Amino acid sequence: MIKKDLGIDFLGVHFENPFCLSSSPVGNCYEMCAKAFDEGWGGVVFKTIGPEHFKVDEVSPRFDELTKEGTPFVGFKNMEQIAEHSLQENLDDLAHLKRDYPTKIVIASIMGTNEEDWVELAKLVTDAGADMIEMNLSCPQMTSHEMGSDVGTNPELVKKYCEAVKRGSDLPMMAKMTPNITDMVPAAKAAMAGGADGIATINTVKSISNLDLDKKVALPIVNGKSSISGFSGKAVKPIALRFIQQLRVAAGLEQLPISGIGGIETWEDAVEFILLGSTTLQVTTAVMQYGYRIVEDMKNGLMHYMDEQGVDHLSDLVGLANKNILPAEDLDRDYKVYPKIDWDKCIGCGRCFVSCFDGAHQAITWDEKTRRPSVDYSKCVGCQLCNLVCPVGAISTGKIEMKPGREGKIEDVDIESVRLTH
Amino acid sequence: MTNNYTHEKSGYTMTTVAEEAARCLLCHDAPCSKACPANTDPAKFIRSVRFRNIKGAADTIRTNNALGAICARVCPTEKYCELACSRSGIDTPIDIGGIQRYVTDFEQQAKMDILEKGPANGLKIAIVGSGPAGLQSATTLLEKGYAVDIFEKNTKPGGYLTYGIPEYRLPQDIVDYEIKRITNLGANLHLNTAIGEDITMDQLKADYDSVILAVGASEAKMLPMFDGNAYTESAVDFLARVKDAQGQISDVPENAVVIGGGDVAMDVATTLKRLGTKNVTDMAYEEFDEFRASKKELAGTREAGVTLVDGYVPTAIDGNEVTFKHRNIDAEMTIKADKIILAIGQQVNTDKLGITTEHGEVSFIGYRTDDPKVYVTGDIAHGDKTVVWAVRKGKEVAEEIDNALMGGNRK
Repeated sequence: MIKKDLGIDFLGVHFENPFCLSSSPVGNCYEMCAKAFDEGWGGVVFKTIGPEHFKVDEVSPRFDELTKEGTPFVGFKNMEQIAEHSLQENLDDLAHLKRDYPTKIVIASIMGTNEEDWVELAKLVTDAGADMIEMNLSCPQMTSHEMGSDVGTNPELVKKYCEAVKRGSDLPMMAKMTPNITDMVPAAKAAMAGGADGIATINTVKSISNLDLDKKVALPIVNGKSSISGFSGKAVKPIALRFIQQLRVAAGLEQLPISGIGGIETWEDAVEFILLGSTTLQVTTAVMQYGYRIVEDMKNGLMHYMDEQGVDHLSDLVGLANKNILPAEDLDRDYKVYPKIDWDKCIGCGRCFVSCFDGAHQAITWDEKTRRPSVDYSKCVGCQLCNLVCPVGAISTGKIEMKPGREGKIEDVDIESVRLTH
Repeated sequence: MTNNYTHEKSGYTMTTVAEEAARCLLCHDAPCSKACPANTDPAKFIRSVRFRNIKGAADTIRTNNALGAICARVCPTEKYCELACSRSGIDTPIDIGGIQRYVTDFEQQAKMDILEKGPANGLKIAIVGSGPAGLQSATTLLEKGYAVDIFEKNTKPGGYLTYGIPEYRLPQDIVDYEIKRITNLGANLHLNTAIGEDITMDQLKADYDSVILAVGASEAKMLPMFDGNAYTESAVDFLARVKDAQGQISDVPENAVVIGGGDVAMDVATTLKRLGTKNVTDMAYEEFDEFRASKKELAGTREAGVTLVDGYVPTAIDGNEVTFKHRNIDAEMTIKADKIILAIGQQVNTDKLGITTEHGEVSFIGYRTDDPKVYVTGDIAHGDKTVVWAVRKGKEVAEEIDNALMGGNRK
């Protein structure tokens, strides 16, 4: 039985493991957060608490899913706003959670409409006993333009509100950023300049997931109409990883503390976020689909990974992959690698032939009698599309060749991946 | 599992059919599509399902096969498309029959009307027999613009589909709906009309441009030793009366012995179990490695709890006691049963049709008889006797007639 310490420090606070509920419907009350703690989550970001004067009024229904073939929840669309309970109920829940779970981390997510709100909310959640504050500057489905992702795209407002929170509280604070922006760096720098101690990202991506084709309305249909709102789940993971990478390599942000969010549902997803610079991790969509219990396999899988990597401290993994992601112009373009076909594994479906012809360079030939593909090296460019479409892993990376006139040794070329070759 | 005779196993839902279609490798030059005797193109309709075009999938199935919903249920796919399936190289073949059933059920629920009648060419064809070959040839001819009359001696159309295949495997409403599509297309059905009794072959030949004999092997073969035995009934008679009564028969036996090793024997044995017969023993001439019944049928029979004994032939009968001997080893067993059902094959009766058959089929290959106006198809034509083959033969005989009658005039 694997046993590894998953403890990690973030913004001066010790987490027994990096897995947190993100601020969302999954952490909406004491009972939910208590159950999550009981099932092993290291922390919760309690559902965003707004000012008393902002009245939350939700639509019904409020979710939609993107599917592909038989797979549900490839992505998830959510129209729910911030916490619906009264300010006092939320503050009581924070205090209650901290009292009952003193070693777990309770993070208060807050959102105001102006500086006074932010100061006031910061004070209130600090008094309630929260360990940390997360500023929600990024919810894309608020009914007020003074709140949410419109604010998060404006560096001046971000800085001003961060300063307000810091006036109201001395707790460690992270600013939650929106991906609905071309470059997240100016907003993140503004947050840090305003006193933020770290960044949480990404919030959901503005989206329209599906349309009802008869009614010509997006889903979910709210009495005949719908709205753009936040998209999350596995489909947004690549977008989240990209933003986190760009933050960590921006000049002046190299050691930026990040709480990574966006489509995490397995330990492998979690490791990816950590390797690109996340210290803690936040999850909602996978919990909405499968429940809090998913943390068991994320924790256990992460322990096995640490064991395989010979790592005893989770913090040793943070950001290890950042240096291996370069601008496209800096990649080695001196060689190509051909596919290698394993005839014993090949089942003769011809998918590589179809994809190579229709989507690549017509470099796979097809023997109609034996139903077997071959590589035409005179045409192959080494893109490895065939490798990706092969359903049985019969195609892997094979012979490497230097392009004519290029320097470099074939032995030095490193392209192997267990993930690429199944 | 329910024992109800009228309960058909549930089909796929939109979600589960998408999962099954996602298993399909979408092969280049797909082997499944070359393996269907009736030219069904599973690669095309599964791809349609994969890309959520169920109506397109229905178009593909229906334009090729007038009995698509029936074939989806009764075809021994393990011998054809599923045998060829590349997915077997990974695990198990795609459930092509199941996906086809989903698509054709959808077609029915959506009330799709896919078949189209061709512009009338003024020619009239008579078809004798409304089994699968007769129905398919009628459809193909209607699509080509012929007027079609079908003559059926029984009170209901469908032949073995209606009278032979049990309800739990092929619900009658599916058969009725398939036939309704064909009559909607313009086929005139003349029920209770036996050739030689209600109308003669000469009359048909005089009234029509061509006559297709699509009579099936509808009569049971019997063994002389069972003649006059009060406990014995033929599979054909038993299945027909159970289906006609939708399982509500009054003489369900306590114990039964079924003799035979084909799909019909499996149907009889499974039907008995579903009706509530406690002990059903099936005695088969063939040993398991040479079994004639399809794997699907055999598995269903085992699942129903039938005792299957292979390699035995009946040697004596005394009242309700049958004695069997093994064909290859020195073994003998005697079984006492309330009911003995013989499922040892069927034969055709062509007495009044003006043709001769040997071992259940005509002696020539193809569909043209010596009489230029008369064609054969279905069981009596050379080739396999399954529904999917009946569809193939139905299409082919229609093409042959069209070539003969319109060959020079059609581009």
